[in-house]
Amino acid sequence: MTEGAPAARPGSGRTGRWLARASRHRVALTLAFLLVFPWIAPYQALAVNILVLGLYALGFNLLFGYTGLLSFGHAAFLGGGAYGCGIAIVHYGLHPGLALAAGTLLATLIAAAMGVLAIRTRGIYFAMTTLALSMCVYYAFYRAEAFTGGENGLRGINVPSVALPGVRLNLLDPTVKYYAVLAVVGLAIWLFSRLLSSPFGAALEAIRENEHRAQACGYDVARMKLAAFVISGALCGLAGALQAIHLSIVPIEIMHYSTSGQAVMMALLGGMGTFFGPFVGAATFSLLQDGLATLTSHWQLFVGAIFIAFVLFLPLGIWGEVLARLRRAGW
Amino acid sequence: MSAPAPRAAPEALPILATEGLGKRFGHFRALSGVTVAFPEGGITAIIGPNGAGKSTFFNLISGAVPPSEGRVLFRGQDITGLAPHRFARLGIAKSFQITNVFPHLTVRENVRVAAQARRVRFALFRDRAAFPELIARAEALLGEVGLGARMDRLARELAHGEQRALEIAVALAAEPALLLLDEPTAGMSPEETRDMMDLVQRLAETRTLILVEHKMKLVMGVSRRLVVLHQGELLAEGSPDAIRAHPEVRRVYLGKSA
Amino acid sequence: MSDLTIGGFPLDLLGLQLVTGVALGAIYVLVGIGLSLIFGLMNVVNFAHGAFFMVGAYVGVFLYGYTGSFWLSLVAAPLAMGLLGLAVERVLVRPLYGRGIDDPLLLTFGLSYVMVEGVRIAFGLTGLPFGAPPELRGAVDIGIGYFPLYRLFLIAFSMAVVGALWLFIERTAFGLVIRAGARDPQIVQVLGIEISKVWLAIFGLGCALAGLAGILAAPLQGVTPEMGIPVLAEAFVVTVVGGMGSLAGAVLAGLIVGIVVAMTSLVAPDMTKMAIFALMALVLLVRPRGLLGRAGALG
Repeated sequence: MTEGAPAARPGSGRTGRWLARASRHRVALTLAFLLVFPWIAPYQALAVNILVLGLYALGFNLLFGYTGLLSFGHAAFLGGGAYGCGIAIVHYGLHPGLALAAGTLLATLIAAAMGVLAIRTRGIYFAMTTLALSMCVYYAFYRAEAFTGGENGLRGINVPSVALPGVRLNLLDPTVKYYAVLAVVGLAIWLFSRLLSSPFGAALEAIRENEHRAQACGYDVARMKLAAFVISGALCGLAGALQAIHLSIVPIEIMHYSTSGQAVMMALLGGMGTFFGPFVGAATFSLLQDGLATLTSHWQLFVGAIFIAFVLFLPLGIWGEVLARLRRAGW
Repeated sequence: MSAPAPRAAPEALPILATEGLGKRFGHFRALSGVTVAFPEGGITAIIGPNGAGKSTFFNLISGAVPPSEGRVLFRGQDITGLAPHRFARLGIAKSFQITNVFPHLTVRENVRVAAQARRVRFALFRDRAAFPELIARAEALLGEVGLGARMDRLARELAHGEQRALEIAVALAAEPALLLLDEPTAGMSPEETRDMMDLVQRLAETRTLILVEHKMKLVMGVSRRLVVLHQGELLAEGSPDAIRAHPEVRRVYLGKSA
Repeated sequence: MSDLTIGGFPLDLLGLQLVTGVALGAIYVLVGIGLSLIFGLMNVVNFAHGAFFMVGAYVGVFLYGYTGSFWLSLVAAPLAMGLLGLAVERVLVRPLYGRGIDDPLLLTFGLSYVMVEGVRIAFGLTGLPFGAPPELRGAVDIGIGYFPLYRLFLIAFSMAVVGALWLFIERTAFGLVIRAGARDPQIVQVLGIEISKVWLAIFGLGCALAGLAGILAAPLQGVTPEMGIPVLAEAFVVTVVGGMGSLAGAVLAGLIVGIVVAMTSLVAPDMTKMAIFALMALVLLVRPRGLLGRAGALG
């Protein structure tokens, strides 16, 4: 076990013409897929779920796949976003758009506070520290019953419709709801892609590949990691805020570290460090969970076993493996 | 060797100097009381037998490890204990003894991302392609170290000697005033060693290089000055001729190999 | 004596609470040492450590139901978890050596799902009640008041285990290999020992300690399939506070965490869980490498 060896990654290798083109238009291709997705998905509520979880996995992937930091504390950001949004609506009656912003902001603040502490630890240590810090947040929200509903969760986030200039979106219509959520998620995907293409994104990849070398090049690795951590937290917070509106309830379990584990699972199933992988992972995870739950109440047994099999035999994940095969075939 | 006294040009400020530099690991003194000055321009080689403290000294002057005692001065400025990335921003670049590149990035991107570190670090929403001068610089440097034909490969696909050359290009990308090399020919075949020493000499025509080397023969002919360490202390410093003639050096170093 | 108070609490109450904290801490110490041992030598974070804790408790409680002997359970639970740990290392973890450092962590995370769900299938969702065995029930006077006998036993037994472990590492040939391996795996190879065998043994030993902690904790709280989930997070706090890979650090931090929990439950019962993590945040701020850092890896 060599310290700091990056986990299996598809790399940015000698990419063929077709893959290079696809990579240039990755936002358009991803959005095109998500636009037709409701017509493929078994039912519409599941499609919204996958969209939101996909954004959660995307935010997580910025840190895990692109920066090489394995966090087990992202539940605090998903939960922070959900609670922030839910509280803004339930207690303050804010417009859903502002509530989304409030949720994202709360998640960003939590990420900044956790990040300042967690960044001080390195390597495997980081996973343990983020997990423990997120549990601190979990218990804090658990105890703040007046705001969060404590053990019973935050209920009554009813957003039947959203008033926008000129239109009123009826969220009770599943199709309208899906495309409304997609508008927000699509914006996040576009921002995420810009970030990856930026010099900052390049520096994050360098840190993932070789932290010491990146430092010797003049990068302030600690500050850049913190920035990545906070941005990743903000994206996951936005996902949480959307989920609060989608489900109209925020269960306290959203902040538990098992929810962080869900992000880890989705990222690995889909393919870490790939742009589209998080959505593949979110879809796989949701369909697996849904499909298995109709067969057995012990679906977690199979989810765990499948995850183990992926770690052992398919570490690139589904999408990562597809990309690697296409690349080998000279695409 | 009490005070730093560069003999080459008395009025010129040394690019790097150490004052009483030392490092302890627990009770073990790896290095102690090294006071030495490195002139600007050309190659200064740090030599010494195994266990002389060369690598420790390299780690101290490159900022990888903080010293237990003493100071490191860069152009007269005290840089002791600064974070590694601060060393880089001051203009001190280094190539490690163990090959140290970005394995899953292309050869071109390896150097481009290193060149970028000096200019744009926190540009979050501009495209990296919007800085064509960085790509041009990367490609020029790769040409200089002889990797012009390998730019689209992944770094990890290169041969060992090529990876060392790439690492030097990565180090040079930040336009350093001073380049530190730790045993640049370690583990290389005779041809690779010759290529590397040719490259080192070419680089030294326009830059200041400090290199740590185990094989004394390799550096005798090319160095402007030599610093000899022995058992964690400074044994001698001076021109190659002075070092060859130095009785202590002959006894502990040359005497053994002769 | 009892009219002396600190912060409104009589001294003997504080004293009793302190002993309670040490008893709780004893569990943390055992869990934390196992985790630190595996990390220190193998650079592997065992995310199934809480699951081993839980399954160990179930094995012990199950056997107790059949044999009626707590002592047998006390031997069988760590033994069973040690064997399970050996199998897991050999079959699942070993193929991952040489790959990314996160891979074993991810694998054991998946494994914890399988183990928790497996126990739910075998023993049901609700958990089993379990009390101290008859010979360890009741309370004894320890000078400042009556204290549950079982908790005293817990303290004494854990300290004996830690002492034995310390002797094992300091005084035996295999202990020397462990200490060498924690510094540099290559040294072990130079000694002519296959490092993979050392890793196998260490993983088994670490899991056995988790199982032992599980059965020791069972009389305090009963057993449920989820009992290992918070324990994993708390064990992480112990290793981070103590200093990753430091056994002495795990002992020190385990006791500190136990005492902090006991004292907080006296002052602000709602804040007990948060206090654990706040302690870790504080240590990270002041001393990021933990109380007894990595320098003295297994010292």
